[in-house]
Order: sequence, then structure tokens, then C-alpha cells
Amino acid sequence: MSTNVSTSEPSDEMLAARAAAGDDSAFEAIVERFQARVFRLACRLTTETDAPDVLQETFLQAYRHLSSFRGESQFGTWLYRIATNAALMHRRTSARRPSEPLDAFLPRFDDHGKHTGTPAELQVATRADELLDRQFLADKAREVLARLPDIYRDAFVLKDLEELSTADVASALEIEPAAVRQRVHRARLMLRGYLSDLAGVK
Amino acid sequence: MKEIACLTGVELLMDYLEGVLPTDVHAALEAHVAGCARCAAFVASYCATPRILREATAATLPDDVEASLKDFVQRLLQKRSKS
Repeated sequence: MSTNVSTSEPSDEMLAARAAAGDDSAFEAIVERFQARVFRLACRLTTETDAPDVLQETFLQAYRHLSSFRGESQFGTWLYRIATNAALMHRRTSARRPSEPLDAFLPRFDDHGKHTGTPAELQVATRADELLDRQFLADKAREVLARLPDIYRDAFVLKDLEELSTADVASALEIEPAAVRQRVHRARLMLRGYLSDLAGVK
Repeated sequence: MKEIACLTGVELLMDYLEGVLPTDVHAALEAHVAGCARCAAFVASYCATPRILREATAATLPDDVEASLKDFVQRLLQKRSKS
């Protein structure tokens, strides 16, 4: 997660160095720069109700550990790791409806390993955002993310929704890149089937 | 590599898109999708899924949450300046 800033603005890493040296305005600038993205991530990994707490916890931990940021990764990647940990910790401590497998939405094949759906049926998820009301889709999207088993949800959110590299997701979740790919793949299959179902195809 | 079925193609799809398949398997999958309308349709919807969910779950930071965070940060900074 890097920020596109004009050359007249300090880089994330420069701000982090200034903040670590005691420059409060630099830390405020970091908060300003990243707050919306951290909030969005927190909503995707927890809920909109829990996200404000995750947001505060993320910047508290970032502030406390600024001196440990060595510039080995981009500052945004480092902050994302903190935000992810804060969200996962929050989720562990809050009462939460158990996730449920979405296996019913996995693709189906005949005895010869051939897709059972027609091309038109198999493609319909591509247009789910055109076929469905925007608010309805937003509600359902939040709902289905919460239904996903955590291991798939976390990998999918970081890789596909927050667009981190596979290596950065692996680092944030402390798993191997091959496991990231496997989990994201499984999530995509279930979510693709879910979108097809929403758009009218079983 | 011999011809592959839709089922195998789906299993390999993520690794294909990430570019981590062996060259011959990569080519076999591409050849299958090029000749299979069902798989071409499936791949299109598989690839569209992240974008659709990304857009649908893009929460914006509410003003009151932003204001609370600002207060929180101010208190944090004041605590350090006093210590």
C-alpha cells in the first residue's frame, strides 16, 4: 500500500522518520493520509461497528512502534500489517456469528470434469454489478464476506480487495505464498458462485 | 502435457493467473480455455469477482469516526509531550 503523492509532499517513509523523531505534525499527517484506507480494511476484516476501534488501535500501535519501522518494506505495507493484526485480534475477542462454508456456490462439473453450466450461465457473475441494485449488492457483499470462513476471508480481503501482493499477504498472515494462492482461489470460487446466484443463476 | 478438462483448468486457474505454473501446464490450460466457451465464460467471471466485491465493499470513513480518531490522536500526542 503506497501512496501516490506529488513530489512536493514528503513520502510516507520520510513522514514516518520525522514522526519517530518526535515530530507530532508528521504523525498527524500519517493519520490523515492512511485513515480512510485503514478504516476500509477494518470494515472488510471485521464490521462497520467494530472498525472505529480497529482504526484507533492501529494508529496507537503504529505510534508506539514507529521506531521499529526500519524501512525494509514500504511504510504502507508495515502499517497494513499492524491494521490486519489489530482487526484479527479484535475479531478474536468479540462475539461473532460463526462463519459458514459456502461450498454450495462452488462450480459444478459432470462425470467427465466438464462444466455443467452453459457459457451464458457461467458468465453471468461478470455482470452482477450491472444486473443488481448497487445498495443491495453492497449489503450482500458485506454479508457474504462475513459468512466466509476466516482463513479465506483474510487472504481474499488482503489480496483481492486491498490489492496487496501475494508476498505481502503471506507476510501479513504469516503463511506461505502457495497457501495465500490456495485460500484466495477458494474464496474467489465461492464468491463467484455467490454472485452468479444473486444475479439469478444457480 | 496432455489435454486438460474444465475441472483441472479451474483447479489451476489461480496459479495460472499468478504465473507460477510450469510452462507446459500453462500452455495446456491456455489451449483448453481458447477452445472451451464454458471455461472462457468461467474465467471471465472468476476474474471479475474481485473487482465487483472491491467496489461493493469500499466503505468511506464517516465524519464522526474521523473526528473521534482526531481526538484520540491528539490525546495520544499530548500524553507523550507531558511525559
